[in-house]
Amino acid sequence: MRKFILALITLMFSMSIFAHGPTPQKVQESVTVNVSVEKAWALVKDFSVIDKWHPAVKNTKIEKRGEDTYRILTLESGGMLEEKFRSIDDDLKKIKWEITKGKVPFSDFNAYIIVSKGANANESIIQWTARFYRTYKLNPPIPEGEDDATAKAAGQDIVDNGLAGLKKTLESK
Amino acid sequence: MIIQNKKTALTILISLLILLSYVYYSHQKINSKAYITNQGDNTVSVVDLNSLKVVKTISVGTAPLGITILNKKNLAFIGNVGTDDITVIDTNTDQIIKTIKLNTAPLSLTSSPDESKVYITDWFKNNILIISVEEMKVINSIKVGKTPSGVTFNEEYSYLIVTNRDSNSVEVFKDKKLIKRIGTGKHPFGVHTDGKYAYTANVYDDSITIINLENWTTKTISVGAHPYNILTHQNLGLVTNTIDDSLSVIDLNISKEIKKIKTGETPENLDIHRKLNILVVTNWGSDSISVYDLKNLELIKEIKTGAQSRSFGDFILQ
Repeated sequence: MRKFILALITLMFSMSIFAHGPTPQKVQESVTVNVSVEKAWALVKDFSVIDKWHPAVKNTKIEKRGEDTYRILTLESGGMLEEKFRSIDDDLKKIKWEITKGKVPFSDFNAYIIVSKGANANESIIQWTARFYRTYKLNPPIPEGEDDATAKAAGQDIVDNGLAGLKKTLESK
Repeated sequence: MIIQNKKTALTILISLLILLSYVYYSHQKINSKAYITNQGDNTVSVVDLNSLKVVKTISVGTAPLGITILNKKNLAFIGNVGTDDITVIDTNTDQIIKTIKLNTAPLSLTSSPDESKVYITDWFKNNILIISVEEMKVINSIKVGKTPSGVTFNEEYSYLIVTNRDSNSVEVFKDKKLIKRIGTGKHPFGVHTDGKYAYTANVYDDSITIINLENWTTKTISVGAHPYNILTHQNLGLVTNTIDDSLSVIDLNISKEIKKIKTGETPENLDIHRKLNILVVTNWGSDSISVYDLKNLELIKEIKTGAQSRSFGDFILQ
């Protein structure tokens, strides 16, 4: 009987696997780069060259699936990440994408980068915003490593390293 | 003009006074505040919709999200998903008058038309909690489907309508009794109702479902990416597309999207001030609200609020 109840509970829990916590995590960071807004945007808008500037990415492979564009990232750590291109807005200098596959401590990761003018013609500001949820889908208590704090730290890492990489790459060119 | 006698002068003076006081009080009567829940900094921004300025910032519980306004009672109920409680604000003074402990995460809120009850979706335990406004406590609950998200009340049929996000369905209750369960698109989140229809925004399907409450037929319309919430105004359906940074405008007569309007970043929720004829959209990504003229859907102003502005529910004091 106890086993049956346990199996039932497991089943009930696994059925609601698609739910997540009610609070999306937000990471929003900016960096000032000493290059023109045109130059910064030219690098940021190219969906296929993230390996040229993100220190965690070893190489990028672009894949077309119907009308959708994906990039498959091989990470320096050996892992893989699949990302789907969402949209590009040349007027706002904004590019959007989402993480669709990968062993990551967060879920539903959507991101966008906006490039804007800095204080002078040779300065630009790159702002990266990410929205995502923790991986644990059920009622509290939340297991260690699947909580909001873990998700936030991982998301923060991606953004911080990415912006530092963009600054380094752009300014060394 | 020469006033002939005292009597005429007095009549004119009194008439003027009556007119002036009428103008003054009719203006006073237009409640025009929006209450914006800022989930990232545990506050509510009070925005005056006449001056288009934040007039007050109120500290509430942790991670405020859902809201409903009781216009006749001048109360705002705010759901805090971090502290599992409800903050009640007196909208005359904008002071907190009560905190109601729930011990579960309140997702969204709505009230009965007479404002005697507030209904709250209980995200984790799959209930709708019923609060007595007079007693300011939970007096009852209704069992619903998985991860109840949006909730609204249809006045015409006295239906309580809830979206069950992980059941991909809407449940319709009358006097706590389940009347109907209807399938929607994937991940229905926000829900809206008017007359004989209910509308859901289906996050994973990039669509909305329109449900006929009379014969239970449904219709699906494609919108932008990851729609979060919907409301209707005359023959238009207005939908926030979170990942598109846009608002889909749907002509309900032809059941089609007719245009998209730019919003701030990651627009989540929306509400209308009927007398001022304006639309307000909360932008989670840009920590702001966008205010539009409902006549032509043109942007009047974007106003900075607090971190991660959401306001899931009816957030404008009418």
